[in-house]
Amino acid sequence: MITLRGLTKRFGTTVAVDALTVDIAPGRVTGFLGPNGAGKSTTMRMILGLDRPSAGQALIGGRAYRELRRPLHEVGALLDARAIHPARSGRAHLLAIARSNGIPTRRVDEVLDTVGLDARAARKPGRTLSLGMGQRLGIAGALLGDPPVLMFDEPVNGLDPDGVRWVRQLMRSLADQGRTIFVSSHLMSEMQLTADQLVVIGRGRLLADAPTDKVIAGSTVAVRVRSPHPDGLAALAARLTAAGATVQAADRDELTVSGTTADRVGDLAHELGVRLHELSPHGASLEQAFMELTADSVEYAGGPTGGGAR
Amino acid sequence: MSTSTRGGAVAAEWTKLSSVPSTWWTALAGLLVMAASAGQLAIYAANDNTNDDPTDDRGIVTVGSVLIDSVELTQYVVLALGLLAITAEFTSGTIRTTLQCTPSRGRVLLAKAAVAGTVTFALGLLLGGVGALVARPVLGEWGTAPVAGTIGDIVAVAAYLALIGVLALGLGAALRNAVLTITVLLATLMIVPLSLQEPDIDVLNRIADVFPGVAGAHFLAGDTEPYPSLVGLLLLAGWAGAALLLGRAALRRRDA
Repeated sequence: MITLRGLTKRFGTTVAVDALTVDIAPGRVTGFLGPNGAGKSTTMRMILGLDRPSAGQALIGGRAYRELRRPLHEVGALLDARAIHPARSGRAHLLAIARSNGIPTRRVDEVLDTVGLDARAARKPGRTLSLGMGQRLGIAGALLGDPPVLMFDEPVNGLDPDGVRWVRQLMRSLADQGRTIFVSSHLMSEMQLTADQLVVIGRGRLLADAPTDKVIAGSTVAVRVRSPHPDGLAALAARLTAAGATVQAADRDELTVSGTTADRVGDLAHELGVRLHELSPHGASLEQAFMELTADSVEYAGGPTGGGAR
Repeated sequence: MSTSTRGGAVAAEWTKLSSVPSTWWTALAGLLVMAASAGQLAIYAANDNTNDDPTDDRGIVTVGSVLIDSVELTQYVVLALGLLAITAEFTSGTIRTTLQCTPSRGRVLLAKAAVAGTVTFALGLLLGGVGALVARPVLGEWGTAPVAGTIGDIVAVAAYLALIGVLALGLGAALRNAVLTITVLLATLMIVPLSLQEPDIDVLNRIADVFPGVAGAHFLAGDTEPYPSLVGLLLLAGWAGAALLLGRAALRRRDA
C-alpha cells in the first residue's frame, strides 16, 4: 500500500506536484498517467525518499521510505533503466544491490533468470546494454528483495513486442500475488491492457483516480458515418447539429459525430432517407479518455506528445 | 539499526569499487607514478652529493624520506579512488539506486569512506613498499633504510593516502562533479598553501600550516615544529572528517 497525503513538490515558483492525495492499493496494477512534465517521476522519486516533498507525505505501508531498515524487502523500484555504471557488469550491479540489503547471491541469479538475461548478457559492461536489456536489469533489481510494493517508471520503453507482453504478464502475476504495483507509462494502449486502476495527473494535480474501465467509459464515443451522397450527408449533419451533437466533416463522404449514439444517428439517417455505407461507434479508448482528461494540462500544447519521463 | 545493514552497505560499496576496471587501472597508475617518482628523487639525492656543487650536498638520506617526497605527486592518482567512488554515481545516475538500497545518507557515506579508506591504505602500503624497493638501490651508498624507520614511514604514507582519499570522497559528495572536486583539491592541497608560504610572512605561514597537505607533510616528516607530527595527523583527519560531514549534509539536503 502506498499512501500519498497532500504530497507537494515545488521547484522555485513551479509547482511540479500539487497536493496529491491518493491510495495505491495492493492486489492490483495501478497505472500512473500524465502528459510529459506532469510530475510522475517526481512523485515516484518522493515516494522513494530521493526528492524531499515541499509539503505532505508519501508513505509505504504507513512509513516514510527513509525510515525503512532494509527497504528492498519493502519496496522494489525501477526508475531509470540507463542508471548503471558504464564499466560495471549487470551482474555486479545487482550483486552490489543485493549485498546492501543482505540478500543472498543466489537470489541475483534467480532474478536474472526471471527477467530472461542469460549469464553472457549479465557479464557485459553497462555501456553495452541496450535500453531493453537495461529495463530487464532494472526490473531484476526491483525484484531482488521480493518486496510487497513495486514501482516501475516507464518499464516498457525500449522493449520489443515480446518484451512488452512479458512485462504485462509479469505485472499481472505480481499483482495477483497480492502485491502493490504502481507503474507509469505514456503508452495508453498498453495501460488499457495492463492496469486495473488508473491515477491520472496533469500539471501535478490529480485528474482521475478510478478503475480503468470507468475512466474509459467516461470518454466520448465518436460515431463514424459514411454515405455515397454528399448532399444527404450534409442534411444529416445539419440535423445532428440541431439535435445537439458535435459533427466534424472528416471527408466529403464521411462524418465524425460525437455527443450522441450510433443508434440515434441511424434513426435520423433513416428519417431523412439518407443511404449509409458505414455507421460505426469509435473511441471509448483510454487514449481518448486521457486526451479529454488532460486537455487543459498538457505542458507543451500544439504538438503531439510522446517520449518518456524526464 | 541492525548491524547487517551497516555491513551490507560496506559490502555493497566494496562490490561497486572492485567491479569497475578504473579502480585497478588507478592502482596500477599509482604504482607506476610512485616507482618513477621514487626513482627520480633518489637519483637527485645521490646526484646532489656527487655533483660539483658542495652547497647542495644532503649526505646520506633515508629511503623513507624519498618515499614521503614521492607521495606529493602520487597522492593525486590515489585520491581518484575516493573521488570516483562518489562522483561516478552522480554521473551514471546510480546514486538513486544506492540511496534506495540504503536510505541513510550518513551510512552510505560512511560505508564509502570505510571502503575507500581501507583500499587507499592498503594501496599506500603497497606503494610504500614499491617506492622503497626502487629508491634503495638507486640511492646506493647515499641511502640508508633502517627497518623500523622505513616501515614506520610506509605506514605513515599509507595513513596519509587513506585520509586524502576520504577527503576527496567527502568533497566529491558535496560538489558532485569530478573535475570541480579535483580543482578544489589541487587548490587546497597545493596552490593555496604554496601561495601563502611564498612571501614567507609568519602569519601567512601559520595559516598555511593548517591546510591538509601541509599538516600531512608535517606528520609524514615527523616534525616537531610548528606542531608535533601527531597534531599534523589529527589536523588532516579533521579535514577528512569535515569533508565527510559536508558531503553528508549535501546528500541529505539535496534531491538525488
